[in-house]
Amino acid sequence: MAVASRPSPIAWLLAPALLLFVLFFVLPFGVMAMMSFYSGNPVTNPNAFLTTRHYERFVFDTAGIYHDALWSTLRIGLITTIVSLLIGYPLAHWMARMQSRLGHALVLMAVIAPMLTGIVVRTFAWMTILQDKGVINTLLIDWGIVSKPLPLMYNEFGTVVALVHIYVPFMVLTLTGVIGRIDERLEQAARSLGAGRLRAFVEVTLPLSLPGILAGSLLVFALSISAYVTPSLMGGTDVLTLPMLIAQQVGTSFNPNFAGALGVVLLLVSLAIVVAYNRILARLSGEQGLA
Amino acid sequence: MSAPLPTIRNKQPFDAGRATYLTLNGLLLAFLLAPIAIVLVFALNPTPYISFPPVGVSLRWFEKFFRTPEFTNALFLSLWVAGCVLVLSIVIGGACALALARGNLPGRSFLTAFFMSPLMLPAILTGLALFQSYLLAGIGRPVWGLIMAHTLVAVPYVIRTTLAVLHNFDRRIEEAAAVLGASPTRVFFEVTLPLIRPGVFAGGVFAFIVSFDQFPVSLFLVVPKGETLPVVLFNYMKFDLDGAIAAASMVSILLALSVVLVLERLIGLRAYVKL
Repeated sequence: MAVASRPSPIAWLLAPALLLFVLFFVLPFGVMAMMSFYSGNPVTNPNAFLTTRHYERFVFDTAGIYHDALWSTLRIGLITTIVSLLIGYPLAHWMARMQSRLGHALVLMAVIAPMLTGIVVRTFAWMTILQDKGVINTLLIDWGIVSKPLPLMYNEFGTVVALVHIYVPFMVLTLTGVIGRIDERLEQAARSLGAGRLRAFVEVTLPLSLPGILAGSLLVFALSISAYVTPSLMGGTDVLTLPMLIAQQVGTSFNPNFAGALGVVLLLVSLAIVVAYNRILARLSGEQGLA
Repeated sequence: MSAPLPTIRNKQPFDAGRATYLTLNGLLLAFLLAPIAIVLVFALNPTPYISFPPVGVSLRWFEKFFRTPEFTNALFLSLWVAGCVLVLSIVIGGACALALARGNLPGRSFLTAFFMSPLMLPAILTGLALFQSYLLAGIGRPVWGLIMAHTLVAVPYVIRTTLAVLHNFDRRIEEAAAVLGASPTRVFFEVTLPLIRPGVFAGGVFAFIVSFDQFPVSLFLVVPKGETLPVVLFNYMKFDLDGAIAAASMVSILLALSVVLVLERLIGLRAYVKL
């Protein structure tokens, strides 16, 4: 490939996207960061002054809820990621190794169809399944397995179940790409040398798919820590996450400045994940280029 | 299939291990699909509250959905916004992908990552940041502001699908056209554009869905009485769980499914395995 020379005239086609991203992405995030250091709206309120009090409020946490919210956001994200990995890996492996094109297309469709269904709709589906008069509790009571409904919803359990359902397709798609690129003959070689199917998988395929596991996990983690709909509908009063806190500050407390500070905290966590994710993807495509 | 496979594949022997593997995957597929099937059941079940097992089949919830102005207004607003987002993101995203793939730009991989970043950063923060900017600018919460916000999170999908097509096609086709005397403009309009069209359209379909189902970006940017369908459904669900929500869900799901079929026809779904 030729060494990159001057940009060609086609490069001008970047302009509209650049304009969109500067005006509606870079600038607004700058505004959010700025607002987080102001006491009020600096445009309409001439008495608004620069302050770090929103961050102090978060750091010293005299109300005793902000640290808990951050911790439960990260915990829910982590559990969702682990469960998504456990559920997504077998599906991705199956899909990557499937020999029939039709079967592959069908499974892929089954994985993508939920992705194309809105989060509000999917959360509603889980509410109808997990609530006290929902599908599971009705069946369990009818069959005489339990006498009163199990607490499947309005807690962290229900939140995680619905979040896993919403984000597992991202895990499957990331993993399928990586597993599909692993040469199947490596596993066959291990097996012809006497390894059992499980051992060949654990010692050959699994280590080779580690970059995919990392990339998929970071993606699901980034998505689930920013979830708002699902924890607020499925969590009841048990769950309070950072995005819920942000929405509260905007909607009911009308304190956009403190919301901005909470936003910056969430943004910093996400940025760290995005950087790691991009590093792994860059390494993955580098390996692909060598192959 | 009669075509010979490129690698020698051993036929998998069917034993207990294989049976467990297949059963497990069947269960996981059921986990993915059952909730959608259950929504259909509740959309057709005539009882006033969500209850299981269903007692019959009726269209009363669909009727309620289409007769409630709150829902239909929101549906029309969502369709209008998604339509605008579709057009804007095809133009902006398609052009951007061309520039990235053919523009000889310095820092290409950085730029690509930058244009993908709205997908990785919390969407609720994009909504919050835009809400604060509109607040500072004193423009209120206009519909065009919502459309631009949706376009921002939809453009990455168009860029991704278009780049995928651009990577896959042979540059020598363009070179051949140029060697045969076509001007760069003619090569662009008669060779490049027709070749990337499926990728751009597929991305546009994604963009439509992303906007139509969008919640976190919309949350802070809609005004009372001017809410999009997902926001109306969310507010309704906080107090009421009846079949109308299921019917509304079905309307969205049917829209999504028809879109999947269109996608499959356009370029085949395999292209999306490569995220």
